[in-house]
Amino acid sequence: MAVIEDPVTEQVPVAEDLFRVTADGAALVGTRCTGCGTHYFPKSLSCRNPRCEAKAVEQVDLGRSGRLYSYTVQAYRPPALFRTDSWAPYAIGLVELPEGLRVLAMLVGSELSDLRIEMPLELAVHVLYRDDQGRDVVTYAYAPPAGGGAS
Amino acid sequence: MRPVYVLGVGAHPWGKFPDKPQLQLAIEALTAAIADAGVGWRDLEGLVAASSRFEGGMGWGLHANEVMQAVAETGAPAINVGGGCAAGGIAVHTAASMVASGECEVIAALGAERMPKGFIPRPPGIPDDITDTDFLRWVAVGATNPAYWALEARRRMHDFGTTAETFAMASVLMHQNAVGNPLARYRTACTVDDVLRSPTVSDPLHLLEICAVSDGAAAVVLGSEAQARRLGGPLVQVAGSAIATGQFGDPAVRIPTVSMNADTSVQHTSEVGGAVSAALAAAGMGTSDVDLLEMADNSAWHVLAWPEQFGFLEPGQADWMIEHGELGIEGKLPINPSGGFLSFGEATTAQGVLQVCELTWQLRQQAQGRQVPGAKVGLSAVLGLGANGASVVLKA
Ligand SMILES: [Zn+2]
Repeated sequence: MAVIEDPVTEQVPVAEDLFRVTADGAALVGTRCTGCGTHYFPKSLSCRNPRCEAKAVEQVDLGRSGRLYSYTVQAYRPPALFRTDSWAPYAIGLVELPEGLRVLAMLVGSELSDLRIEMPLELAVHVLYRDDQGRDVVTYAYAPPAGGGAS
Repeated sequence: MRPVYVLGVGAHPWGKFPDKPQLQLAIEALTAAIADAGVGWRDLEGLVAASSRFEGGMGWGLHANEVMQAVAETGAPAINVGGGCAAGGIAVHTAASMVASGECEVIAALGAERMPKGFIPRPPGIPDDITDTDFLRWVAVGATNPAYWALEARRRMHDFGTTAETFAMASVLMHQNAVGNPLARYRTACTVDDVLRSPTVSDPLHLLEICAVSDGAAAVVLGSEAQARRLGGPLVQVAGSAIATGQFGDPAVRIPTVSMNADTSVQHTSEVGGAVSAALAAAGMGTSDVDLLEMADNSAWHVLAWPEQFGFLEPGQADWMIEHGELGIEGKLPINPSGGFLSFGEATTAQGVLQVCELTWQLRQQAQGRQVPGAKVGLSAVLGLGANGASVVLKA
């Protein structure tokens, strides 16, 4: 869950239409095929299932929770296209969603040594950097559930 | 369709050559292949080039045209193929198909690359929005290519109990194989300790467990059986070749995507698996007929996982095989006697052509310093951006 620490700082997403914050918390913005039910993230133009003839997709919220399928700790700073104000080696996870997708995401809110495959996770909003207009640029990320994650 | 033979092969050594234009690398490799075949420039009835997006090709990927206009304006057709890092394999398959169909008696396939320094930049003109996952993986996640391979490696540790030492052994083997190969860029043997003490890049993968990028070029000359017999060299046949794309539900963590519809009933890395299966079917062979593999080992994980995914080993079996020396040159299933990407560094579009050169030297028993004893059948496997796969089966 996103915690807005400084209510006066405006937040802007790192890319439009990638995720949104609703009354129920953060959600990824994806699509679902109305024919075969397959989910896609980010939003897709069509359905990729070769057995599906419908090929009609509608926008849906998804990925509010998931489980860690795999992870890595990236030790080197990525190229400049990845902008962050506070660089330190960080974890990237592959998160298995109940919607049938695995999603690549930053992992936050956990010590690197506490990461374990199959741990439950919740979608969060993570501040990457403050832009030159004083706004916080945010991305989607996954974190252990606020309640401690018993499951 | 008629049989196709390898008439000649040639390659420029891999390394960094800032003073040599890519066109020069291409011409040197092709000149070597033509000389090896014993044909002249005027004998080439076509040239298929794996197109790079980094340099040359008149900015449009017109590599074959550029080479012919530089060294032999014969009027023969130029074919330029894309397919990311699989383009070299696609070029060989295309050339083989043109001989098999009867369109050409003698044709060459070529791949040449000079890689940019550091991280591979996004192509110009691509919008910075959600329609480009290569944009998203950088800005939203910061996921480097090694991070993708590391996610697979970490999961393998969970599924099969693969240890850091076993991954390191895969790197040790590739570097050991390269000691005997003058074309390889990194030819110094290393130990498991060396690998594990090299810097962690993307946990659990270390610097010595991921491939660098290099400059390099390779070429093959293919022809009909009549041409092969006329030239009188050792007969190496293209027993089968195929190209394929990815299948829906493929669970591979595919660069540069940020999500996948993972269906565990679908083959992992299906673009390559599909090409391998189709190439073997075209050859009328099964996996047990293959004496050695030349496959893309972008990381130590690939060395262990790919032979399993494509049916050469059971899932998890590669760990035991490498621990017992069975993936080595003298083992039951030699992997990359050339030294592979880990010892060459990846010269993207040239790599799939180089694999076919190495298989040819192996099947001719000419792979001095790295010869797989009695090799009769070899298979190549290469993966490219955009879910492209290619595979070539050669038979002595
Ligand atoms: Zn559908």
